[in-house]
Amino acid sequence: MQYFLNGLPIGAIYALVALSYSLIYAASGVLNWSQGDMVMLGAYLGFTLFQLLNLGFTPALFISMAFVACVGVLVQYFILRPLRERKAPPINVVIATLGVAIITRNIALVIWGPDAQIFSSPVSAKPITLGALSITPQDILIVTVGIGLMLVLQYFLKKTREGKALRAVAQDRYGAILMGIDTQRSDGVAFAASAALGAAAGILVAPIFFVTFNMGAGIGLKGFVAAVIGGLGYIPGAIAGGFFLGIVEAIAGGKISSGYRDAITFALLILVLWLKPSGLFLRKTRQKV
Amino acid sequence: MKGITKWRTYGILGVLLLLLFLVPQVVSNIYYLHIINLGGIYTLITIGLNLLSGYTGQVSMGQAGYFAVGTYVSSLLMMNLKFPFWAALLVAVVAAAICGLIIGIPAMKLSGPYLVLATVGFGEIVRLVLLNWTPVTKGAAGLTGIPLPEFMGMRISSEKDFFYLIFIVLLLGTYVAQRLAKSKIGRTFTAIREDELAAEAMGVPVNLYKISAFVISAVYAGVAGALFGSFAGVASPDNFTFDESVAFLSMSVIGGNRSIVGAVIGAFVLTFLSEALRVFQALRLVIYGGILIFTVIYMPKGLYGLVEQGQNWFSRQFLAGKKDYSS
Repeated sequence: MQYFLNGLPIGAIYALVALSYSLIYAASGVLNWSQGDMVMLGAYLGFTLFQLLNLGFTPALFISMAFVACVGVLVQYFILRPLRERKAPPINVVIATLGVAIITRNIALVIWGPDAQIFSSPVSAKPITLGALSITPQDILIVTVGIGLMLVLQYFLKKTREGKALRAVAQDRYGAILMGIDTQRSDGVAFAASAALGAAAGILVAPIFFVTFNMGAGIGLKGFVAAVIGGLGYIPGAIAGGFFLGIVEAIAGGKISSGYRDAITFALLILVLWLKPSGLFLRKTRQKV
Repeated sequence: MKGITKWRTYGILGVLLLLLFLVPQVVSNIYYLHIINLGGIYTLITIGLNLLSGYTGQVSMGQAGYFAVGTYVSSLLMMNLKFPFWAALLVAVVAAAICGLIIGIPAMKLSGPYLVLATVGFGEIVRLVLLNWTPVTKGAAGLTGIPLPEFMGMRISSEKDFFYLIFIVLLLGTYVAQRLAKSKIGRTFTAIREDELAAEAMGVPVNLYKISAFVISAVYAGVAGALFGSFAGVASPDNFTFDESVAFLSMSVIGGNRSIVGAVIGAFVLTFLSEALRVFQALRLVIYGGILIFTVIYMPKGLYGLVEQGQNWFSRQFLAGKKDYSS
């Protein structure tokens, strides 16, 4: 039960990152490898605003989300749009987004330097004990803000005009074009929303880990794993996959071995892919002759 | 006409071989020769990757895993059990091939992002095992003092010796890959890439071919790994990260992943580029990333696409009207 609780905050972070992968994949069919580095960028911006400029936690969160969302739009406009216009094969898109990741990471290295920065938590990290269980206010903050953002996303997708357009494009891109939906715009919206979610995940995770220029690779990969376990492109699956992965990691790290924790995660992933190739929570049959 | 083309090809090949033979005589700077040798090792991996992802359409971002298996298996056999280099290389290749088989089996059901992630997972598992299995792999510190290859009383020690060793293996590897690509197997790979269902309907044992492609790419990376261990003399998990796998995939795509020559071009160009950009210091990788993005947008077929365009232009200019229909 304690492992379950320990897994929740990191699970919420993974869920946010998984959402950002799934959203872009659903809306534009692109696998965006720079998503992890948007997390890193969010963490650094949050660090700069909150720690160095002494802004409050909430404004720091929103300003960096907005800023990283702009970066997302720029990536979509200057890199994804020309690739799409040229009908580039998916592998070229993968390399292009990996290029974005390399650039972002190294610009961060130039700006903030190679040293790990400590992001001191806005709330206390002293555990509250409830009988045999303990949880820190820090963890509660992560889980509440995480779930809050997921609800906002859900509202945005279901109720707003932009969100509905995005879902229409996700269902049938060509059909959406025929209905007069600007797919270019909905791609931009998807990239902005994904980048903002990533930035939020970055600020939330920053007090747990150090903020470093290469933190994005690990978190990005885990978020991708969570998205795939839940079924890539499937929003509720991404959330479930994130929490599932967080809890599995907490158990694997606590019960088996912390060094092999990630290896266990990836072995589990390959097993899941082998047995259910389209994720745990999505039903899809394989085409056969 | 066909005979002339054939002799012309042999002539070009002969000149290329001679030039290749002269490289270490002309390039006296040890550092440059070292980079060339490293490029040769990476080319082997990229050739395997092109057969896997360019021809068969199965994208792998875990080639560093097979590379690592090749390096560690051969190095440990030479260090602990005093295996001669060639025997160690052979066992390392078998080990890498088995890994290819293990990952090929779940991979045959997968495609797109799911396949990519399975291969990433494999690469990460290998790296984490190397990092944590300290009694055997020495953990993060890695292996040091990996023995030099010895061959019929000759010790391969200088950069020049390694150049000949690596390039003989590379020429052999390129030849085999080229033959493979032009054979029935290569055409079947392409058929699977273009339309798996149609290939299956034509009676192609698709799964067998897909797994074979994984094993072949693993063999290439395994050979490269065994060469790398002795060549570098040291190896640690840091040599086999996800970023390395990404670099190999970039070489494959930038060079042009639907031909073997593309692999050779991509691997050498990116290896040299990444060294040449060192003058920009901190901005080195920013520029590298920019070049990657620019190339995949504006040269969708990679650098080999440019070569093809050049060839077409050349034949239009000089062989106009003398079109060779025989080949």
